[in-house]
Amino acid sequence: MSDGPLIVQSDKTLLLDVDHLLSDECRRSIASFAELEKSPEHIHTYRLTPLGLWNARASGLDAEHVIDTLLKYSRFAVPHAILVDVAETMSRYGRLRLEAHPVHGLVLVSHDAAVLKEVTRGKKVAPMLGLQLDDETIVIHPGQRGFLKQALLKLGWPAEDFAGYVDGEHHEIDLVQDGWSIRKYQELAAEGFWHGGSGVVVLPCGAGKTIVGAAAMAHAKATTLILVTNTVAARQWRDELLKRTTLHEDEIGEYSGSKKEVRPVTIATYQVMTTRKKGVYAHLDLFDAIDWGLIIYDEVHLLPAPIFRFTADIQSRRRLGLTATLVREDGMEGEVFSLIGPKRFDAPWKEIEAQGYIAPADCVEVRVTLTDAERLNYATAEPEDRYRFCATSQTKQDVAIALALKHKDEQVLIIGQYLDQLDALGEALQVPVIKGDTPIKERERLFAAYRTGEIKCLVVSKVANFSIDLPDATIAIQVSGTFGSRQEEAQRLGRILRPKADGRGARFYSVVARDTVDQEFAQNRQRFLAEQGYAYRIVDADDIHLGK
Amino acid sequence: MSTTSFAEELRTRSDSELSKLFSLRPDLVTPLPGDMAALAARANSMPSLIRAIESLNKWQLDCVHAICTLEEPFAKNELVSITEKGAALVLEELWAFGLIYQDGAKYRLPSNLRNLIGDEPTGLGPKLPTTKKVNFSLLEKAPAASQEVLNRLVWGPPRGQVGNTKKPGPAIEWLIENNFLVAMDSQTVVLPRDIALHLRGGKVLRDIITSAPVLTGRSRKQIDVDRAAIANVSTFLRWCEELSHNWSDEPPVALRSGGLGVRDLKRTSEHLGIDEVCAGFIAEILFIAGLIVIDTDDQIMPTSAFDIWMTKPLEDRWHALVSLWLETSRVSGLIGKADAKNIAPLGPELDRAGISAIRKSTLALLQNNMQIDPAIDSIQQILKWQSPQRFNSEFIEWTLREAEWLGITGQGAISTFGSALINGAEELGIESALPKPVDHILIQADNSAIAPGPLTIELSNMIGTIADIESRGGATVYRFSEASIRRGLDHGQTGDQIKDFLKKTSKTPVPQPLEYLINDVSKRHGRLRIGTASSYLRCEDEGLLAQILHDKKIESLRLRKLAPQVLICDFDMAEVMTTLRESGYLPAAENGTGILLSAPAVRRAKSRPRPPRILSETSAPTDLVIKSAVRAIRAGEKATSHKPRNVPRTTANETLDILHQYIDEAASCTIGYADTNGGVSNRLIDPVSISLGTLLAKDHATGELQSFRIPRITGVSPAEN
Repeated sequence: MSDGPLIVQSDKTLLLDVDHLLSDECRRSIASFAELEKSPEHIHTYRLTPLGLWNARASGLDAEHVIDTLLKYSRFAVPHAILVDVAETMSRYGRLRLEAHPVHGLVLVSHDAAVLKEVTRGKKVAPMLGLQLDDETIVIHPGQRGFLKQALLKLGWPAEDFAGYVDGEHHEIDLVQDGWSIRKYQELAAEGFWHGGSGVVVLPCGAGKTIVGAAAMAHAKATTLILVTNTVAARQWRDELLKRTTLHEDEIGEYSGSKKEVRPVTIATYQVMTTRKKGVYAHLDLFDAIDWGLIIYDEVHLLPAPIFRFTADIQSRRRLGLTATLVREDGMEGEVFSLIGPKRFDAPWKEIEAQGYIAPADCVEVRVTLTDAERLNYATAEPEDRYRFCATSQTKQDVAIALALKHKDEQVLIIGQYLDQLDALGEALQVPVIKGDTPIKERERLFAAYRTGEIKCLVVSKVANFSIDLPDATIAIQVSGTFGSRQEEAQRLGRILRPKADGRGARFYSVVARDTVDQEFAQNRQRFLAEQGYAYRIVDADDIHLGK
Repeated sequence: MSTTSFAEELRTRSDSELSKLFSLRPDLVTPLPGDMAALAARANSMPSLIRAIESLNKWQLDCVHAICTLEEPFAKNELVSITEKGAALVLEELWAFGLIYQDGAKYRLPSNLRNLIGDEPTGLGPKLPTTKKVNFSLLEKAPAASQEVLNRLVWGPPRGQVGNTKKPGPAIEWLIENNFLVAMDSQTVVLPRDIALHLRGGKVLRDIITSAPVLTGRSRKQIDVDRAAIANVSTFLRWCEELSHNWSDEPPVALRSGGLGVRDLKRTSEHLGIDEVCAGFIAEILFIAGLIVIDTDDQIMPTSAFDIWMTKPLEDRWHALVSLWLETSRVSGLIGKADAKNIAPLGPELDRAGISAIRKSTLALLQNNMQIDPAIDSIQQILKWQSPQRFNSEFIEWTLREAEWLGITGQGAISTFGSALINGAEELGIESALPKPVDHILIQADNSAIAPGPLTIELSNMIGTIADIESRGGATVYRFSEASIRRGLDHGQTGDQIKDFLKKTSKTPVPQPLEYLINDVSKRHGRLRIGTASSYLRCEDEGLLAQILHDKKIESLRLRKLAPQVLICDFDMAEVMTTLRESGYLPAAENGTGILLSAPAVRRAKSRPRPPRILSETSAPTDLVIKSAVRAIRAGEKATSHKPRNVPRTTANETLDILHQYIDEAASCTIGYADTNGGVSNRLIDPVSISLGTLLAKDHATGELQSFRIPRITGVSPAEN
């Protein structure tokens, strides 16, 4: 019996003992075919999934390599069924290939007649197929490329896409590295994407995903469409691109609710793309406005369903997805795989933190005991109002205020879900509040003032969940959220993870009402971060009041 | 010339020869026959012959068939001439089996063996008197279609169906005209034995395979095989444990026909993460071993034997189950097989004779070919040669599959443990090959705990009560949640005990959120209390309640104070009411919502209404009933008028003889027939056939075919017209 760092479980999870001597070596080997599920302090969990194994095949690994790796590092005998399953799953990838045919354009090719027969019988697949040229080749309408790949994946026969990409309209873009330089992992991520053709890069918040996007653009040197979550994020992308690349202001356009500029590099918001006029998506033409060479999806975990459908139409263009968490609460990870592309790069949060690129964070759950009156009101509230009731209780407000005052010399963000609660906090602390109806101009002004330190404290609603770059924020106080959303918690922590000039750590407070649903949701919200190795500590609100 | 009988020949066999016979056919000595005549009768009985034939290999069986084509007594040379030289050796083996016996220098068959083999041994047709000459040289000129027909018939079966033998097609017509075929009846033609033998070139067997083929398959390294096997062993044991625990938590309810329902099987297979066939197999093994049982209330759950089994070392646990698997006649491969009937695990329909022998011969074959993962075709061919009568390709496939699940094999080849098991070794070496149990866990910040190896039994029991299993395998991943901690508290642990246990067991510090979780849950646990009571006393006057509570006269009610204004009692309301009234109190009844029941409660029975049956006038009989009655009466008339009152008594043998005569003559007769109460009635019948101790005859009384048990027939006499 060897004494390896890896334990292969019968449910296809792999447990990696990180304290083991060989753990680094093993991690590198298995990362290429297994998905990192969680990475707490001692034992990391990876999972063998069909998607992961197909990703590995796509990047050139074969089943034998995977099996060898498992056997080499495994501490106990590996269940035979798993080895058989790995070989079987991996052999399914690449039996079907999408290729460019000199005469007929896009074709589906397979040397395995039985598989081809099986998929042509598929109810969903059959209507997408054109003329069968011979036993091994079927013509596909180019517009069906994405839908077909999606349908084939569902049947368990993922097609390997060799049809290539259009280059798009050439546009000179280069990185300008003066006073800064691209980090190793950013470079690896951009290269991983470029060699894969299309795909998703997963990096923690604050680890500089924009730079990965810029580096990808420098690789493509072509017109680029960037899809982002909101206008403020769009402006930040623009500023960042101006700073990091050779692009000039007149080369970058903003396509949002207020402006409709189409330039060689265009930044559009999801919202405007999914706006419908008389039931028709009004701005879809943007996808065809220029012969785009690259399409970047920021925060791909939030990609709205209609965009998926448009994406299926543009499979011949290179696509880059950027995100911090590939956790989709709606379970559409499969769509991301088949339409945007496989995961091309992934780095555990704690690893980036260890390299000093994101600030270490101290996560604190502050438990608040509601007053007897509040408890009684809570107990008799309608079930659908309960969360709102306990999340916005006065006792919690007081604790949040006490926390804000305690850190009055630092840059503080107070984040919440309910607007009246936020307004009340803003009033009590005499600080500005940013929410959905705050004009873009005003938002930008406030954020700018915050960055310079003119404003020490900001109260923000969920508009600030994503893509808002506030490098100096060190303290976040979360008073309420979207129920038990794990990725929201991660995103909010991400707001304060930018490394600080003086190397200080960040602190994330989550104020939670004891013995209520607030506490249950908090547990669920924290799970993703706990799995990333962020250990929460629990303190009692009374200690805060006492100034501890 | 007198012939030697089987019994006489057996008398001449030496002790060692008889011992050999008994070891080859153990059924001959259970129960012990009284004398040689009885032994000969037993050895010549159908069941015993069938068993003997089943244990022959293909070559031996072929020889038996070949012998049946010979005239008795036959000589060794005769057999050799129609087969090949090696048959001489087989003849000795068959003699040892008691399937042939010597008559001077020649041999004979026990009389029933010919019946067992049938009239067409090796597919040869009947011997027909050769009245007509057959000219084989004509064959060369025969039409192609006729030759085709001959080719089909020559190796058997020798009969063919045609539309009409009087007017056959040209191909058949040519054959009949030239005496190659003989018409048996209006639709059947047959190839006579002499002609077939001639066409076969004097040999009776088409192909002679005197030894088993060689096993082929992929070769494996023993170390890999053993590693894979040990993984299988530990997985198998974990499945057994897991299934039992699961059924202890949520016992499935057995079907009315016995066995486990499809839905429960599916649920179990999902729980274990294996397919249903495998889940059924695990359930069967546990059932055979008595570790789970169908309880009297039809719930299926683990027995106390399971707890004892769990305390044993892993090797003993495995050994206990696997040795049962080798012996059992239950075939779990039949479970849920895609045919018309869905056979349930733990049900009554899984027994198949001979499966154990197949398992043993399959494993023996693997053992003789260590380090080979056999090709399924190859192993089936060999076993088919070894015992063609017992061969069942599915059973072999299932045996291999189950052996892999059990860990007797790994990567398809037999492991050293499996081999040791078959050899009956004391120590199988499993214990040392399995990973060592660990006595610690690692708790992480996300409220999960990992046992990096198999846990000792005490630890795994304890953790099992306070955490849920999230992932199984070499290691176990547990998750702590509010529900799992609550379960631990329900099992009688306290919050502090749980924390102490975790601190002691975990190699890593217990994360603070987990401690908070335990504190939170244990603080809330048990705050609400639930109990049962049959009635309550409510009174706003606390003084009165205090008085009642201390009243000696009503001590028998055993009242208990629950709250200042409430007493509860285990007796029902009416009884409490009566007792209180008798003691001078003035209670009033109220219902569950507090409404006063002023009127005396009108009492109603709780059981369903079951009115007694009504005896009414008999309704008019149907035409069919009337017709049958008339016929029965007429037949009875005939029987009594035509017949002596009492049929003479005859012994069973006489009865048989006489009945056979009537059957041959196709005549009616009267029998005396005893009913289940011993009363004898006379029946007028047309006997049809006798088989298995039963007479099949047409009963004149009913006009239908009916069966009569021979021992119940008291006598037979002719039917008098």
